Amino acid sequence: MKWTSVFCLTCTFLCATLSTEKVHGRDQWFQKADSLYVAGAWFEASIAYERSYYLSENALQRVLANLAKAEALKQMGEYSKAHDDLQRSLAFRGSESLRLEVLYQMALCAYMDGDDATARSLLLQILHQFGPIPQQRIFLLKGLVMVDQARWDDLRQHLEVWADELYDDNAAKDSLLTAFDVLKMGDGLPRVRDPERARLWSAIIPGSGQAFAGSPGWGALNAISQLAALTGFGLLAWNGYYIAGVVAGLGPFQSFYFGGIRQAGELAEQNNSSRLERFQTAMGEFLLDVARQSDQ
Amino acid sequence: MYLAKEFFQKLMRMRFQLLVLPLILCMMPMALSGNTTLSLDKSGFAVFSDMPVDSVGYSDLQMREEMDFILYLVGRGDLDEGLFLLEGLRPAGEKWRDSLNYLTGWVLYRQKNLDASAGFLLSVSCESPVYHKSHFFGAYNLAHTGDHAGAGAVLSSMSLERGKMLAAMKRLQLGGLALLARDFDGYSVQARHFSGQYHVMAAEERRMEQHHAGLRDAPGKSPWIGGLLSAAVPGLGRVYAGKSAEGIVGFLYVAALGLTSYDIYRGTGARNPLFILSASVTGVFYVGNILGSATAVRRTNKEFNHEMDQRILFDMHIPLRNAFN
Repeated sequence: MKWTSVFCLTCTFLCATLSTEKVHGRDQWFQKADSLYVAGAWFEASIAYERSYYLSENALQRVLANLAKAEALKQMGEYSKAHDDLQRSLAFRGSESLRLEVLYQMALCAYMDGDDATARSLLLQILHQFGPIPQQRIFLLKGLVMVDQARWDDLRQHLEVWADELYDDNAAKDSLLTAFDVLKMGDGLPRVRDPERARLWSAIIPGSGQAFAGSPGWGALNAISQLAALTGFGLLAWNGYYIAGVVAGLGPFQSFYFGGIRQAGELAEQNNSSRLERFQTAMGEFLLDVARQSDQ
Repeated sequence: MYLAKEFFQKLMRMRFQLLVLPLILCMMPMALSGNTTLSLDKSGFAVFSDMPVDSVGYSDLQMREEMDFILYLVGRGDLDEGLFLLEGLRPAGEKWRDSLNYLTGWVLYRQKNLDASAGFLLSVSCESPVYHKSHFFGAYNLAHTGDHAGAGAVLSSMSLERGKMLAAMKRLQLGGLALLARDFDGYSVQARHFSGQYHVMAAEERRMEQHHAGLRDAPGKSPWIGGLLSAAVPGLGRVYAGKSAEGIVGFLYVAALGLTSYDIYRGTGARNPLFILSASVTGVFYVGNILGSATAVRRTNKEFNHEMDQRILFDMHIPLRNAFN
């Protein structure tokens, strides 16, 4: 009886070990998930990776499953979820490179999710835990976060460090930095139009606030509307229709006047953000080009 | 001699390994073969089983493993994933039907897909340990989707022991349904049994009484009166509807246009096209104000009823969550 029990337990132990850690430590669910991922079935793959995570008793296996699941979620555009899932693997201390990978993927997912503050925080964690890492993807992500946060001076310094990593000769480094400066200054870091000043301009000279904000067409339309309303009031009053003049002339005039002031401020805010967005897109493209060059 | 003795002692110690080694070697290819995995049952026994995906008809053990995994997913908020797996489950027998219906209904309930959730929850048979929870929540889901009669029928069909907490819960739910249907007599029948002795629903029983009083005493506002008031004094119908600011603005518009028409009439007479235009515009605004006032009264009534319904549903929901979660 005793021998039988020992036999069974031994078989159980060996088979469990062999069946769950078969090929390079990857279980069958992991393999299944991989094939689903390759087939483009991201959702199903993410479930299979989660099952691998759930079933695995090996911490390393769980981190690998978690990272692979994050890839599937990224393909689905579920960046926030991928970031949250990866947090489970932050406590892993088995491999420094895997830990770095988890932090990087979290930062990438946070950036893709539009959470630049978290992405920056995670990149700072990478810097403090692993020191400066000469990986192009980390340089790129750091640069993109700086672009999104409009930290142009920091970006210039970051590019200097990146150029040092990329090129040995000073001419190439200078060329990269010059290209950045040209893009920033030449094409123009957009000038921010103060919405308050736009409102003030519109209050003093109707339509000028809109022109100041960068929309002269709207300014002209508003000015003409106000002029027309005043003219209507004048004509009606001239002919003795005072009440009608007030209601049909001054009424619309005050609407156009105060509406124009409000519109000038809103246009300034809108134009500021769209100009900045265009510039950030151009700057992002520039950084991607740098990364592409470094890959070649 | 000493060496020979030690050798045999070692051999005795190794007897076990020698015995089982061939067996283990025989099992290794099985463990390493394509579609077989090994999992440990909760009782600790190891079994080989085919991988669940793509298989038709799950064994009990596979079902238990699948359900555990789905519960894990649902627990961590992966509702879509849980539902996806639930839809793919095909148990071999009827044994798992209730569990599947309950879990599917619960996931749909958490996804706020209450209509579909009710269907699954109400399919749970009375033999199931989650029968009461399923049916109470199923009835609540029906109530939330506006099927008050259906919810009432579900609750009425549940036979519950008198004097127990679930019987009191049923009374509360039926009372809430009666209020949702504005059946005050029906509510009074249920409210007579509100005891306040169960802490999971004592506060809600009190609030249900407040809702009853609020609905009973609420003056039903008539769109006709609102319209007539606005016909007499533009904007007054909106004030009657409880929208004073809208009423004042409406009055100012109509008054300004009326004054304009009068101003033009005074200067040019009734046949002047400018007066006709101005008077027409004033008339359109005046009639529009009357219609708008009637609509405002209807909107106010609708908002009041909606708010009361939400409060009643809330007070039906909270005791369920308290009692069953």
